[in-house]
Amino acid sequence: MSTRESAREIADQAAEWATRIDGGSIDHDTDVGLRRWLDEDPRRQGALLRAQAALSFLDRGRALAGVIPKPESRPIWVRRKLMFAGAALAASLVGVAILMSLPNRYGTDLGEIRQLPLSDGSVVALNTQSAVEVSMHRNAREVTLTRGEAWFKVAHDKTRPFIVSAGRIRVRAVGTAFSVRRHDDGADVEVTEGVVETWTVGEEERRIQVAAGSMAYVAAYEPPKIVQASADVERSLAWREGQIVLEGETLDEAVAQFNRYNARKLVISDPGLAAEKLVGQFRATDPQTFAEAVATTLGAKLEEDGETIRLSRRSPR
Amino acid sequence: MAQSRKDIVAWVGSHVLPHEAAVRAWLRRWTGRDQDIDDVIQEAYCRLAAMDDVTHVSNGRAYMFQTTRNIVLEQVRRSKIVRIDNVADMGSLSIVDEAPPMDQVVAGAHELQRVEQLIENLPLKCRQIFVLRRIHGVSQREIAQMLGVTQAAVEKQAARGLRLILQGLEGDDKLESSVGEVGEHSRERTRDR
Repeated sequence: MSTRESAREIADQAAEWATRIDGGSIDHDTDVGLRRWLDEDPRRQGALLRAQAALSFLDRGRALAGVIPKPESRPIWVRRKLMFAGAALAASLVGVAILMSLPNRYGTDLGEIRQLPLSDGSVVALNTQSAVEVSMHRNAREVTLTRGEAWFKVAHDKTRPFIVSAGRIRVRAVGTAFSVRRHDDGADVEVTEGVVETWTVGEEERRIQVAAGSMAYVAAYEPPKIVQASADVERSLAWREGQIVLEGETLDEAVAQFNRYNARKLVISDPGLAAEKLVGQFRATDPQTFAEAVATTLGAKLEEDGETIRLSRRSPR
Repeated sequence: MAQSRKDIVAWVGSHVLPHEAAVRAWLRRWTGRDQDIDDVIQEAYCRLAAMDDVTHVSNGRAYMFQTTRNIVLEQVRRSKIVRIDNVADMGSLSIVDEAPPMDQVVAGAHELQRVEQLIENLPLKCRQIFVLRRIHGVSQREIAQMLGVTQAAVEKQAARGLRLILQGLEGDDKLESSVGEVGEHSRERTRDR
């Protein structure tokens, strides 16, 4: 097909045809030129109907107004009403919790996400089912990620490096922002600002630097390596706002993300359905809305009981 | 029995077209996109154009919401990657069917206002011709005589005016925003009229 006409271009042509029909210079049912134009593109029928309907709509205005005295071909002056759209700026400020005294240990339950400010001005965000231990020393700031995932916004302080331990893995920052997620055999390190250094215990000489926008996987018994040089780090850290952001992930992967946060598990009972790719943004703790959206969009069937939400293909008709 | 083309055009003009801007606004909110809406709307009119008879459609506004919704969903299902933001909102769409009709007098006044506004926004030459043709029912030939121009010139201005009117019908205005509320919040409203 050659260049496809836009809806607007078709609408403009339809306006001309409708005007000719209205003026009586051609007939809708018999005009050959019109018939040819309509047949060339199925969309044109709709455009012509709309254009004719618009004229009819305007005539309706006359009918509604009743009889209007005929003017002496005097121009009707435009009374342009200037509409001042009041620009209301809604600035929603996120309230920052004030921490009286930081407990040494800090954790979250299933589905819980918490942010806590540290005494040095840094901020820690804890993802679902995660725990940290924090120790502030004169010459170092030490955080141990005992389980789960945490994001750190590190206050700048050259004299006291900020070191996160996750099992055998270490991540060191001065003033930067990054997250660490523990796995059984290592950890993911994602950097949102600045640069961090990461290494495994006993392999200090093989440390690597990870820059903003990158993600590294650090295995417990192997040298660390960058896995994604331009990871969409901000997106994968959407959990800090309690969001799951999908950018082409499969339904399978999306469900795994939701199940991280919720006791009520999503189950997909159809491999074809599981492979569907999705784009969207959802509250991590609301699998119901997500499941309903999936059901509506993909035409899937939804079955629920107290513990699971099951998604399956509708049986073909 | 098939309806006449004229009846269908008149029905679309009075029952569908006045709600187009509200449908477009809803589609924009729902899909979060601007670019494909023209195509969705056009497809909806195509489906209307394919009907021999529209008497079974009891509510043109609801029809438009329902049809455009289906078109978007069909597109979504065909695409490789599915955008599912806001799709959950669509569950509430069935309520459009239950939208209570606006008070006839109020609706009529709104509609008249809308027509006036659309015509007022036209450039001077178009506007003159539109007022004569539409409001006063003067033929194109007579208009040509009155204004001392050729019929072709009248037709050209009339077509230009209609193009602008069609664009104007896409947009929001006071009428559409108020009508839109009727549809979207109908659940809260009582139907005991």
